[in-house]
Amino acid sequence: MNESEFKLEASVAPPPLKLRLIGVGGGGVNAVDRLRAEQLSGLDVIAINTDQRALQACGVQEKLLIGANLTRGLGAGGDPELGRQAGDADRERIAAAVKDSDVVFLVSGLGGGTGSGVSPLVAELAAETGALVIAFVTIPFSFEGGRRLKQAEDALRVLRPWCDAVIPLPNDVLLQEAAEQETMLASFARADAWIGRGVRAVWGILANTGIINLDFTALRQTFRARGGKTLFGFGEGQGETAVAGAMESLRLCPLLQTAELSRKADRLLVNLTGGADLTLPRVNEVMTAIAEQFGRDCHISMGTVVDPAMTGRLQVTVIGSCEVGGRALPPRRSAAGRTSKAEAAPEAGPVRTEGVPTTASVDDKGKPKAKAGAFGKPADKAEPPADQNEFGFGEVESRGHFEKTDRNLFDGQDLDVPTYLRKGIKVVI
Amino acid sequence: MSSRPTFIGAVEIGTSKITVLVGEYSGRELAIIGRGECSARGVIKGAVVDFKAASDCTHAALQQAERDAGESIDRVFLAQTGAHLEGFYNEASVNVASADNLVSAADIRTVCHLAKAKELPAGRSVVHHIRRPFRVDGRLVPGSPENLVGQRLEVGYWTVHGQEQRLADNIHVIRGFNLEVKELVLSSLASGHMVTTPEERQQGVLAIDVGAGTTDFVLYRDGAPHTTGVVTVGGSHLTNDLAIGLRLTETQADKLKLRFGRADVVTRDKAQKVWLDGNFAIGDRQFPQQTIEQITSARVWELLEVVRKRLGGAFSPETCAGGVVLTGGTSKLPGLAEAAARVFGVPAHVGEAPQWVHENLRDPGYHTALGLLYYGVSAQSEDTAPDRQARGVWGQVRRIFGLH
Repeated sequence: MNESEFKLEASVAPPPLKLRLIGVGGGGVNAVDRLRAEQLSGLDVIAINTDQRALQACGVQEKLLIGANLTRGLGAGGDPELGRQAGDADRERIAAAVKDSDVVFLVSGLGGGTGSGVSPLVAELAAETGALVIAFVTIPFSFEGGRRLKQAEDALRVLRPWCDAVIPLPNDVLLQEAAEQETMLASFARADAWIGRGVRAVWGILANTGIINLDFTALRQTFRARGGKTLFGFGEGQGETAVAGAMESLRLCPLLQTAELSRKADRLLVNLTGGADLTLPRVNEVMTAIAEQFGRDCHISMGTVVDPAMTGRLQVTVIGSCEVGGRALPPRRSAAGRTSKAEAAPEAGPVRTEGVPTTASVDDKGKPKAKAGAFGKPADKAEPPADQNEFGFGEVESRGHFEKTDRNLFDGQDLDVPTYLRKGIKVVI
Repeated sequence: MSSRPTFIGAVEIGTSKITVLVGEYSGRELAIIGRGECSARGVIKGAVVDFKAASDCTHAALQQAERDAGESIDRVFLAQTGAHLEGFYNEASVNVASADNLVSAADIRTVCHLAKAKELPAGRSVVHHIRRPFRVDGRLVPGSPENLVGQRLEVGYWTVHGQEQRLADNIHVIRGFNLEVKELVLSSLASGHMVTTPEERQQGVLAIDVGAGTTDFVLYRDGAPHTTGVVTVGGSHLTNDLAIGLRLTETQADKLKLRFGRADVVTRDKAQKVWLDGNFAIGDRQFPQQTIEQITSARVWELLEVVRKRLGGAFSPETCAGGVVLTGGTSKLPGLAEAAARVFGVPAHVGEAPQWVHENLRDPGYHTALGLLYYGVSAQSEDTAPDRQARGVWGQVRRIFGLH
């Protein structure tokens, strides 16, 4: 993707959406620091960390040092509990930083102290204000040891119920991608680049007005059931074989890692970006291929953006959700739910409800008020644990067929995860 | 023993298929008269996860076997595997009671009882007590120590125990067909018995049964099973690894595994590609052959290393002169024997059933069911032997089949 395409008028719609990009912990801050340089308009960047020096080193305009009293600004030392305490200590400041957002992109590296401990809190606070929370999280390398992996999984489990979408990116997969001679810095940069592309893809959907437009509400509709698993991927193709190329690179996108998951999407949002030469047969071709791959039964919303800069190229972004085990959480945030704190203004919350497809408005308004109350805070607190039992382990989604079975532990490793991934054997796909 | 023959069903509820063999046992000899098979559903990693589906498959296989045999099964020997099975070693010793230091039957009974008396944690029950050879004053006694002279009699048992609910799950599947489970037999013991010879067991041999969902192994030393174990990794993991690595469906991955999977990497050319279907149909895709081999071999090597680690000190190349014998469906993976030889540092080969087994049943996938029949019949005598004065009939059976 190139930047210029998104310099389109993001301000066409009168009330602009408030988008925030929040990096939590060392890994998260580094990632947003890199992204910030790419200048996405209308995107506020916030860095949250317990480590003062790391925070000073980054060039993000809004920095938040938390738990200074607990850690003296020296970091959480890989202890999620300490991270959590640090977050709790500065709860108000975090809440103030995230308030009034429409979409929060949460970026963090799980497995360490701050990332694992604070991310769930940030997600929780953001979700409470009614923002759409999309988390991009990295899962540590297997060689970092079983403990970090476990911490990451625990954090992911706590994080999931608060987020509308969680897109995990296992570092092990990156190792697969790395070229033999690639430096470590370059590899990590590539992890960040993938997250960056993910953020930009969503941002692009919101900021660009397409011929067939997808907007905030469509995005929200896709993530109606909170706590489900998220499918996220994008691909790009060029020239004559643009469709085949885009589908191929979509298939290999590391954010879209499981073969198994892809067949189970319930709702799918597909955005195509192409040049002025984008033809309808080509769109048809892509959509047929996508429907083929992700299931014909799922509810697909499609958007198309024409960008002159993309002439001869085609980019496909796929965002989907699937309800885990068929027992989805009730839609947590309808228009009513969103403003549960300020019940007086039921319809003030969502912006751009005009262009909503009918199904969306029925869902939003059709929910009785009483029910919205039930989905308010107390119910939320009760919901996550019940939900966790359903998927238990297997949060790091590379167990495929064995996802729903007990873990197969030996020497601190889960034998159900492919050996070549755990051992970091690089294979060519 | 009555003169009427009993019809014994050997049932293995495996991860990929359910096998039933019917044996006619007349008290003197055992003949296989029927076979039933059904591809399994509702079983993952050797454990029943969907009771209904697993029951239906098993019942279909039982029905088929009974039809094939033309007789109804009287009792069932059931193979056991799964992650819940664990083993430990416990030994006991007694001072020989009599004044002339002659070991009596009472001494043997006492020491066996003591060695087996270890309590299990709640919710677990014993599947097997496997006796290691007796020792009289530290000297190994291959058979019964009765009437030998010594001060001290020692014996140890390798006790295999499993979670009660899981054991019950499998038994209920059989009960649902209105059959009684006579005996639970460890899968590893059943198949190990089939593919190793008494000489090999005497020298020390390691039998590894790599199935679809589990890998069952048994180490024989001094003619008797020494250590057993289960690793819940098998052929389905190979398929899953390929499905994740190459982003395929399981069916596609399985196809690639069967055609191109290897336990070692022989393709040196990174660019060499193979077709998924190879039928020139539209939609057929290509994959680098080396990648397939890398993924499958990494898994297999790790699996063998895990087995070796699990055996720990029990295994050493010196005490395992018989080498490694591989069996089970996944043992058909090319290069597996070479990989095992490298990992264990002893010769390895893929096991074959004895010559008298009919060629229909010679596939490695049948070894467990075959072993169940034979081991089941002989093990019964083994268990009761120390208490039993008259060993006539059982002794004969064992002689006939050369089991001991």
